[in-house]
Amino acid sequence: MSVENLKAYIESGVLELYVLGDLSPEEALQVEEMAAQHPEVKAEIAAIEQAIEQYAMQNAVEPSADVETRLLEKLGLSELEPEKTVKSTPPVAQEASIIPFDESAGKVRILRYALVACVALLIISTAALFITYSKLNDAHDQIASLNLDKQKFAGVVSKLEFENQGLSNMAAMADSQEWATINMTGQPFSPASKMKVYWNKKDKSVLVNYVAMDLPKTDKEHEYQLWAMVNGKPVSLGVFGKNDSTSNEALVKMQAIQEAQAFAVTIEPMGGSVNPNMGKLTVMGGV
Amino acid sequence: MTAFKKLTLTEPELVQQLQSKDPAVLKTLYSMYSSAIYGVISRIITHTELAEDVLQETFVKIWQSAAHYDNTKGRLFTWMMNIARNLSIDKLRSKDFKNSLKNQDIENNVSFVDEQNKVTFNPDVLGVKQLVDNLKPDLQAVLDLVYYKGFTHVEAAEKLDLPLGTVKTRIRLAIIELRRNFN
Repeated sequence: MSVENLKAYIESGVLELYVLGDLSPEEALQVEEMAAQHPEVKAEIAAIEQAIEQYAMQNAVEPSADVETRLLEKLGLSELEPEKTVKSTPPVAQEASIIPFDESAGKVRILRYALVACVALLIISTAALFITYSKLNDAHDQIASLNLDKQKFAGVVSKLEFENQGLSNMAAMADSQEWATINMTGQPFSPASKMKVYWNKKDKSVLVNYVAMDLPKTDKEHEYQLWAMVNGKPVSLGVFGKNDSTSNEALVKMQAIQEAQAFAVTIEPMGGSVNPNMGKLTVMGGV
Repeated sequence: MTAFKKLTLTEPELVQQLQSKDPAVLKTLYSMYSSAIYGVISRIITHTELAEDVLQETFVKIWQSAAHYDNTKGRLFTWMMNIARNLSIDKLRSKDFKNSLKNQDIENNVSFVDEQNKVTFNPDVLGVKQLVDNLKPDLQAVLDLVYYKGFTHVEAAEKLDLPLGTVKTRIRLAIIELRRNFN
């Protein structure tokens, strides 16, 4: 290629288009071949490139800082940014001073919940305690009333046993040939009263049966006294207490008497009297 | 900010590290060239967000296709700038960009004005605005279309209703004018 042709080639503007990337691949290849063959072309291209580069440099516009951050992140190179680490330290420190506050706020919230839960638990416990206490009182009442019932039944049972003993004795004595049963009937002092006395024909012993008596009530200073009428004279056979079930024995053994025509009961002061108080003769019956 | 502590390396060092995929070089490369490349992108795409997306895409592509750069065919910056220009033009013609225009005309205008103002804040640029303005209007019009608007010289010829040869000549004259001023 002649110098004139080369100059014309350079001045055609194709090299500028090459640098601006405005050529087809084939055209670009031609330019590259020319540049390889002709240092003038290569130098011209370099000069155009430098001019464009200068032009770009001096028309530079600063992009926002986060583009670089995003770029490094996207390429996974962000750890290579020392500036970024330094910059990000103060916010981290600030966060660090905030985080414990958040944590303590969280703790306070938890403690508040705990307090509410405790109060609720206390109220429930107190209510439960009152319910339990009143139930316990009910139970105590029930136990007391059951005890009372038990005592009542025990009393009934012992009375029944007492009466059963007396009645079985009465039956046994009625069947027996040994025992004589003397029926005593009410006297003017106490017409409704009646009583039985059992007299053993062999050993002459005398028994009274609480079950088989119906006598007027006595006060604390008086008790009953049994008398035997021997040849018209009263002989004391001893005293016996009130008709009640305080003693376990329904039968009371009195003093023996060898012979008697009749038996009688009077009400005498405690301990008995030497002579009967005929004004208070309650029952009497002949043998 | 980075203007005060720009990291710099010579071009052969940059190319060597870039092609050996040394991670540290990306930061250096970004520090040295991001604003120059963004200056080109942001004049093609005036919408700030989209322009910054393209800037990011540009550096991703530079990083990923570094092996394809051949230093016998031209300067590293030329290669990078053409990546940026191609991505910008692709974006400009994409559905994505057309959609964003529908609702954001006013925003685009505002950000465009902002970017024009930004240029004047760069001390290196102070003379350039004037320089470009001092280009003869017919040279300026062609350079604007090809350099800033991403037009091919064929499209510029159609747009300006000029013969293809005239467009080529005017581009050459404009660049010669720039060379003269920079030298």
